[in-house]
Amino acid sequence: MWQQVELALSQSAHRALVTLANFLPGLLALLLAVLILTAIGALLAALLRRFLTTIRFDERLSRNSLVPLDWAPSHGPTLLAARIIFWACVVLGFVIGISAFDAAYAGNSQMSFFLLPYLTHSVGAIILLLAGTFLARYLARTVLIEAVNARLQYARFLSVGVKWLVLVLTAATVLDHLEIGGTVVDLAFGILFGGIVLTLSLAVGLGSRDIVSRSLEKNVETEVLPPDPTYKPQVTNETLRHF
Amino acid sequence: MASTPTNTAAATPETSSTASTSLLIHLSSMSPEAVEPALANLAAAFPTQNILVALPESAQPNGIETAPNLRLLSYTPAAASATNWVLTAADYFNTYKLALENNASVCLLLGAGGHTLETESIRNLARETLSSQADLVVAHYHLGPREGLVNSAILYPLTRALFCSRPRFPLAIDVGLSLRMAERLATAAQRFTAQNQEDALLWPVSEAAAAGFSIAEAEVPKRAIPQPASLDLNALLNQILSSLFADIDVRASFWQRMRSVVGAQTIPTTSPLTEALDVTPMLDSFHLAYSNLHEIWALVLPPHTLLGLKRLSVMTPENFRMADSLWVRIVYDFVLAYRLRTINRGHLLGALTPLYLAWVASHLILVQSGVSPEQHIEDVAQAFETDKPYLVSRWRWPDRFNP
Repeated sequence: MWQQVELALSQSAHRALVTLANFLPGLLALLLAVLILTAIGALLAALLRRFLTTIRFDERLSRNSLVPLDWAPSHGPTLLAARIIFWACVVLGFVIGISAFDAAYAGNSQMSFFLLPYLTHSVGAIILLLAGTFLARYLARTVLIEAVNARLQYARFLSVGVKWLVLVLTAATVLDHLEIGGTVVDLAFGILFGGIVLTLSLAVGLGSRDIVSRSLEKNVETEVLPPDPTYKPQVTNETLRHF
Repeated sequence: MASTPTNTAAATPETSSTASTSLLIHLSSMSPEAVEPALANLAAAFPTQNILVALPESAQPNGIETAPNLRLLSYTPAAASATNWVLTAADYFNTYKLALENNASVCLLLGAGGHTLETESIRNLARETLSSQADLVVAHYHLGPREGLVNSAILYPLTRALFCSRPRFPLAIDVGLSLRMAERLATAAQRFTAQNQEDALLWPVSEAAAAGFSIAEAEVPKRAIPQPASLDLNALLNQILSSLFADIDVRASFWQRMRSVVGAQTIPTTSPLTEALDVTPMLDSFHLAYSNLHEIWALVLPPHTLLGLKRLSVMTPENFRMADSLWVRIVYDFVLAYRLRTINRGHLLGALTPLYLAWVASHLILVQSGVSPEQHIEDVAQAFETDKPYLVSRWRWPDRFNP
């Protein structure tokens, strides 16, 4: 009996080691391809940057273009071209690496069948995550500044609410893209999203009572409305002219 | 550098000496009802001189008898937009085109509400344009202490410090142009009109300064200043300041070389405030912004300025006073952040609005305490001039440590 156990264990260990031995060259090939192409990309980008700086590419472009181009000093056309070259090389490295990885598993397609789609989905998920995070930050700032300039006391709350709405939506999209969680993610997303929307609606609704009542007062005859002893009319500076 | 003589001479009728000069007067944004009084004013201002008067197609007088010395021209105005209360790229372009077609040597552009200009003011503008050899004559309005505050806080001091130009109203809506100035402005306008941005703003003072043209001012004591249709201060500030900051960005190589200082101006007397103005809403706006926008300001402003704002936030309304040096640094750092795109430009200018309101509140409190508003504006302008090396330095080396 012990012999059988020992045999089973040794066969299992052998199979695991063989699988690992098959897996490692593919992984090493992937890493090598990415590293080498990244180094090549950095070199090409540096060379291109130096060349474009020498020929004053930015100045020529802004002088000769029909439409005036508006570049930030830290994001000029030269830098953009260099970055495009660099990232193109990195992506090429990944493509070559994944192909090598796939080739290493030609005989054992099960691993390749699971890993490759997951790798491509992961890239998509990372892009979604970055885009969602940027969008959340942009919208949160927009709402915050607009709300502050509209003198809304709950400006920060509104901004944070919008930010989390977008982040929750992003997280749900990413998980859905990675096919993680299944219906649990949908359910959790629905509850969270609905909860945030309800909270914001209540907060804005309750906080904007004065604004709404003032707006209605402008349209409805004042005698129709019952007098509100707590209401204080906002002082308007009719004589103040900014322009 | 552009010389900047100021119109201080007493008004004397001088039309006879310039009778041979062809003068084109361009009336922009003119409603049909305003045509009759506008033409009557022009006829009274130039009783003996032949004048070309350009009117928008929609405002051509029907059944109105015009003075024989006024020759009416018609032009197609730009589509109605929110910026029709100031002179736009289309106005400058149309003026130059008409001046060329009709061999005019001098142009006067009278902005929206031009019919409210007094005869003497029109004559002042024309005389200065015809006789002073200045390429650009800008109207100098006499506004009350609560009017034209954006101009007093930002447009005037910034333009004066950077372009070393004297005009008190860089975005004046009544200007006189020599033909070469009109041509230069039309060329600048064409860049916008070619992109269908006919309502873009132009900055004639910086254009003239960069070209080395001479600039003068003409007194326009009374005039109804047109107000923008939109009451959204945030949107209006965004529109005006983004145009000004973009213009500053484009002309960086020019204004960094300008080292001269305009010098102290004579302070005109202004009507005192009859009643105290409630500045509480503006202070509330600043305090709300201080508690919410601090992290956005921290991306734009250096620690020393943030410290100044912190001190400002704890001041009582009676003692609320924004130091001129603090305001100068705020504006300069926002100009710099606009150039560097530190944050989204719309966000940046939105974050400036509460700071501007704080300056307005501080200015009004100071004026109510008895200080002459023009004296304070002059002090602010001088502070901008004094601190110009800071902007130049940070413009050239933005990453250098700043306090």
